[in-house]
Formats: sequence, C-alpha cells, structure tokens
Amino acid sequence: MKTKYILNFNPEASNLPITHNLIAEYGLLVNILRAEIDEVGGKMLIEVSGDEASTKNGVEYLEKIGVGVRPFKEGVRRNDETCTHCGACVSICPTDALSIDPETRKVKFDEDKCVACGVCIDACPPRAMEILI
Amino acid sequence: MTKPRKAHGEKNRQAKTYDHIRKKASDGDAVVMTAMEFKRFVESEGVGKAAEEVDIVTTGTFGAMCSSGAYFNLGHSDPPMKIQRAWMDGIPAYSGLAAVDLYLGATELDESNNMLHGGAHVIEDLVNGKAVRLKATGYGTDCYPLKEIDTYVSLKTMNQAVMMNIRNAYQNYAAAANSSTKTLYTYMGKLLPELGNATYSNAGEISPLLNDPYYRTIGIGSRVFLGGGEGFVVWEGTQFNPGVARTPKGVPKRPAATVSVIGDLNGMTAEFVKGLTFTRYGTSLGVGIGVPIPILDEEMASFCAVTDDKIFTAIFDYSHQKRSRPILAEVSYADLSSGKVDIKGKEVPTSPLSSISKAREITEILKKRILDGSFELTEPVQRLPLDRSLRTLEVRGEKEAMK
Repeated sequence: MKTKYILNFNPEASNLPITHNLIAEYGLLVNILRAEIDEVGGKMLIEVSGDEASTKNGVEYLEKIGVGVRPFKEGVRRNDETCTHCGACVSICPTDALSIDPETRKVKFDEDKCVACGVCIDACPPRAMEILI
Repeated sequence: MTKPRKAHGEKNRQAKTYDHIRKKASDGDAVVMTAMEFKRFVESEGVGKAAEEVDIVTTGTFGAMCSSGAYFNLGHSDPPMKIQRAWMDGIPAYSGLAAVDLYLGATELDESNNMLHGGAHVIEDLVNGKAVRLKATGYGTDCYPLKEIDTYVSLKTMNQAVMMNIRNAYQNYAAAANSSTKTLYTYMGKLLPELGNATYSNAGEISPLLNDPYYRTIGIGSRVFLGGGEGFVVWEGTQFNPGVARTPKGVPKRPAATVSVIGDLNGMTAEFVKGLTFTRYGTSLGVGIGVPIPILDEEMASFCAVTDDKIFTAIFDYSHQKRSRPILAEVSYADLSSGKVDIKGKEVPTSPLSSISKAREITEILKKRILDGSFELTEPVQRLPLDRSLRTLEVRGEKEAMK
C-alpha cells in the first residue's frame, strides 16, 4: 500500500535520520517528493510503501519523536470554472499530473500523481491553480 | 489602399453565392459543419462532394490576444468634466479623447507594479456584470469645470462599452523554447531551461485564418463570434504580414495575417473573455473568436480541408534576446499537439497556450447560431490586402524616417 504524508519537524527533529529509520527499522520504502527546511523547522512530503502494520508503526514512531504527521490528500486544487484548458501547465508539470486528453483536448488533473511542487501555480494564465500546503 | 490584383478564387466558377447560402440558411436548409466535422467529411467523401453539399464551415480560436481592449463612453457628470487621467479599478485608461471617452488596453497594468492585475481583468469583470471603481482627474475648463471624480461604473451605467481589438486571431504563430540554463518567463509562458518544454499558441486546423489562407471570405465587414457575443472584422490587424513562406497549398509557415475586430461588450460572456496573467510578463486578454467560412466552391472546400499535419511553424529559441531569434526546429501542428516534439534529438513536452477545447466549443456554438438563424453570414465589403510587408523600428534620423 502507498500513502502520502506531510511531515512537520521542529529544528531538533530535523537532525534525526528519520528516513533511514523508516526504511531500516520499519521496512518501509520512502520516496521523498518534496522537502523544505528553514529556521523554524522543516516540512517534507513523502510517499511510503509498505504493508498496513509497518506503515502504522512507522507513523507512530514519527509521532513519538515529535514529528507532525498528516495524511496528504490534496496539495494543489484546480478551480474548474477558471481553467480555460489552455494547457500552459502540462509541459512544465514534472510528474505528468497535468496532461491533455487527446480526445477532448481538455486538461486532465490526476491528483494522485501531484506532488504539490507548485510549478503550475504561477504558470497558469487564468490563475486556476491553488497550492494548499 | 490596395493595388488591384488577381485574387484567389477569381479563376473559379463560383458554384455558390453568398445570397444563395444566406437564403438556404434562412430557409433552414443550409448544411453547416464545424471545421472538425468538415475535415472528416472531406476525408471520407472527397473535396468535390464537400464543395457541393456543404454551405458553411465554422472555425474558432481562443487564446491570449494582447492587442485587445475596450472603449467606453461614461456619460457626463454634473458639473461636467474633461477627463485628463483615469483609472478603472486602479488600471490607467487612456483619455486623450473627448471628455468622457476612455480606452482601456488589455496589457495595461496597475501602478503597484505587481504585474498580476491589468486592463484585461477589468474587462472580464465588466463582462461579468461587476461594477468597477472609476477615478478620474481633469484640469478644469469653463465648459468642463469638474476636476475630480471617484465613482463606480458598469455596463449598465455606460453609454457605450465596446471591445475594439487591433490585432487578433493570428494566422499561424511562432512556437517557443529555451536553450539557456535559466527559466524564462515570457508571453509564451514559462519556458524551462535546456529545452525543458516548448509552447505554441494557435488553434491549428480549426483556426479561422488557416482555413482561408488567402482571405477570400474573411475580410472587412465579416460578422464574427466575438467573446461569446457578436462582432465584425473592421480592418487588417496590426503586423499583418501575408507575404511569408507558404506550403504548396498556400498555408503560411510563419505568423501572417491578423484581423482587427469590434463588438459590443454587452452580450459577451466571461467564458470567452478572460483576464490572463503571464508571470513576469504581464497581463493579456483571452479572447474567443469564431468565423463562419462559406464553401463557395471547390477551392474553399480544399482550403478548409487542411489538417494539422499540413500546417507548419518554427520553434524559436527565446533565450536569444533579439528581434530575430534562431530557429530550433520546424514542426507541424500534428507534432506539437501530440504532446512532444523533437528538438535537436531531445524529446520536449509541449503546451498549446491556445485552448483547443474552447476553440472547438466556439465552432459548435457558431454552428448552432447559424442553424437557428440568430447569426447571419456576411460578405466582406472589402478584402484584406495581400501586399503588406513587415517593417521594423530602427533608431533613425528625421530625414531617414521620411525616405
């Protein structure tokens, strides 16, 4: 099973090898989709693959060491009324979450593929894309 | 204005006249097809049969068209005022006209310099029925004593609110990519470094002027779908440049003709009049235009049969900050719309910028309007010229400029 989580760290937790621990101690596959760190701590978007029990244990470990964990459901939202389906976003989206349907020529947004990198936000001429994290 | 010339179409026996087609349309007997339907019809039935059986083909385009704007007559205040400077929702409007006439350009930006909000957005708001804050100042005269006003206006308060675009609906357009090592922010959108993407901006095979390459039917006086309402072609558009290289079928391989259009903002819809922001370039207006093309004879049928694989453009390298940019690749619109093009051996993802889905919607709406009798086909009162060439702006002396 694959699950995406947003992790929020305080500066202390930023120094712990948590990705290593999730992999070595809990047997999870961790894909870091996005990571940011600044003076008040850090934020990471990860995709975790593993069975349900290991995923649960991994999340509990993170919470125990003071990492804020919340499931990632929606990172970028498209306002369907504002979108003109011009396609300015499709060639810059690094994960192909945005693509043009060859039949209808409308822009499709596959939220599962979106890693909330935000590249589309300021590339959208009618400003239909909004980042939520 | 134009030199007499032997025009395309004159050698052909006119199989149908405008009157004939208009009569059929008003009797409810006209055969109207969208550009897409027509191309499929020609593919299966051939050009000859298409010329005989089809009367009108509807074409459309929706894209960022910077040389757009609107003029307004605000009505007179009491006491009256000769407006010298004016702002509509903070966007400067040109007032070097009669007392209460203004022109608001789509790319005019607000004075906070954030490059996000411009004239285009104010025009969209007005079309949406919103009220817009109007501030204006004047110098005061005996006949126009008022020096300042701060009020609201909307389509309901103004005498005239008219879209007047001096360059729209480009017949073909350049495509863009970026070979440098940094991201470029352009009117062609965000161009990723090292040929990370390519953008193009034309509806291709369903775009009006690509279906009438020598302007036999699209001319001054043509009634068009404009921004959801109706308008007319009033002149050749600026930078009209029909002399570019063409394919054997006559389709320009570079940006060529443009049209200037006019239409009442009342009756337009925000679906087809959209304020756009191109980051670090500025604003533009997304305009939807649709043009009906009468299939007068076999030549017109063959023009309208053109498909994306027969329409070509060049991808230019926008990292060169020059008037003439190097060409990276020559491609067809079929290549561009496949989602990937080959540039120097690299597979580069593409973005259209021009909304093909909205353009198709326009062709459908226009077809419906012609069929229900609410949109009447018009014959141009004057054809667009074929003898223009593109001039450049140089730093020159007074005498040199007069040569």
